Amino acid sequence: MSAWLNFREVYPRRALSLAAAGALIGLGVAGFGLFTAKGVSTFIVPAEDVATVNQQPISRLDYAAQLKAVYDVDPAAASPAQKRKVLSDMIREELFVQRAEELDVASVDPDVRAGMVNAIEQQAAADAITAQPTETQLRAWFDAHRAAYASEGSIAVRDLVFPPDRAPAALGALKAGQGADAVLARLGGKDTEAVKGEEFYFAARIHLGPAAFAAATATPTGGVATAPGGHVLLVKLNHPPAPFTYERARDQVLSDYRAAAAARLKDGNERFLRERANILIAPDLK
Amino acid sequence: MDRLHDVTLARRTWAAIGGAGLVVLGALTWLIWSAAMDGRLLRTDPGALPQHPTLMSYAHERGAPVFQARCAACHGRDGRGDPARGAPNLTDADWLYGAGEIADLETIIAHGIRAGAPRTLAFAEMPAYAHPKPSRTEPIPPLSPADIRDMTEYVVWMSGRPADPAAVARAAPVFQTRGGCYDCHGRDGGGDSAIGAPRLTDAVWLYGGGRADIAHSLAEGRHGVSPAFAGRLTPVQIRETAVYVYGLSHPGRSASPR
Repeated sequence: MSAWLNFREVYPRRALSLAAAGALIGLGVAGFGLFTAKGVSTFIVPAEDVATVNQQPISRLDYAAQLKAVYDVDPAAASPAQKRKVLSDMIREELFVQRAEELDVASVDPDVRAGMVNAIEQQAAADAITAQPTETQLRAWFDAHRAAYASEGSIAVRDLVFPPDRAPAALGALKAGQGADAVLARLGGKDTEAVKGEEFYFAARIHLGPAAFAAATATPTGGVATAPGGHVLLVKLNHPPAPFTYERARDQVLSDYRAAAAARLKDGNERFLRERANILIAPDLK
Repeated sequence: MDRLHDVTLARRTWAAIGGAGLVVLGALTWLIWSAAMDGRLLRTDPGALPQHPTLMSYAHERGAPVFQARCAACHGRDGRGDPARGAPNLTDADWLYGAGEIADLETIIAHGIRAGAPRTLAFAEMPAYAHPKPSRTEPIPPLSPADIRDMTEYVVWMSGRPADPAAVARAAPVFQTRGGCYDCHGRDGGGDSAIGAPRLTDAVWLYGGGRADIAHSLAEGRHGVSPAFAGRLTPVQIRETAVYVYGLSHPGRSASPR
């Protein structure tokens, strides 16, 4: 039995060969990981990119989107000239962005600063939007903010104005069932025509003013109300806001939930930045 | 006796070393093959991918678990969507954005719709006409309750169903003028997939096509969101998911026969 096969005895050549084989496999795995990892400086362009500029990748997805935006073509249908032009423009942009970073353009250009602030805020919002809340979380939000989930009320009302001393008489006559036009003629009033037909509450509030609007919306369909300034309100129709069911409101609930989550993330982000920063304020502004 | 024992031990040890070597070799081969396939998948133009059954099959298999983990919560495990959530059916031929090609899907998966991401698709948003400022971006005036009732009938009529003719006649000029509906949905209600404006002349409804659903959409607006996964999924995962979603509406074109 040869020494290679006799595992009862130490055989240095066999041990070295096995160690070398292990080392080679290890090197292979490490090399594979090293040269295929994202962001590693290599001489090859990663498959997901169309170019790298000082190791900064230009992604295929952005390239395709740019081709679509500029020439309205997919990469497969684009001509070589179109492809070259778009790629050249993207490389140019990347070079200029890198130069702008070198020159610290953000410190002096208000537009760049505003864009960077917006980008960081958007990033926080995108994190919130990507997270999918559970139905339990959405229902809890709905239950906590039920007042926000209702239809807009609508109202149709005639706003009649009388001399203030005659308004009570007009109110009595209208409540007794007399015709509005006859009462107007007899008591010297006029129809403001402030509300034209059925209007949503928000429009009626603008057209009637806050006091008359409050009086009108507190009156049921067919009722009559008064408001300061000799206003007599004939409420022809009043549909107060109707609460939505969770199912009907879910779309809005999800949107509001995400907006609130995004706002919280933005606040948290800002708090974190303030906490880790070394901020010194001039004594006269403290 | 001792010699026989030594031979058996040697055979077992070499078999173990050989087995381990084979496993390592297999793993390495798989890694290299999978990296090569990922590279081919990414370097192939998305529009040309359906002509490569092997790549489509590879991407479809790997896209399925990503879809189930990231997309199924809204679109459903089978991709048929949910009108209660405004999640579109991905198995039909009706596409709100683009034409349902792999490139279109890849863009949506990467950048999302109204996702707050820098390149997200947010060209249009259904105004909430029962509110003082119906649109956050466009100077569109609100409509009256009567306008919304009429417009509901008009939209029902556009989709080829019976509707109140007087209401339809009243709503038509509103649709074409102050309502601003024509601007996104088109004069003929044909929609515009470049901005995600749905066609109103077919039987496909993102949020339900009943009168109450339509009236609610008109009154309260719609602002559906699809998250952006660029930076959360790798480029190859995004393409694989796009291929999987493409396969949902193109059965037989995403998986090669085995």
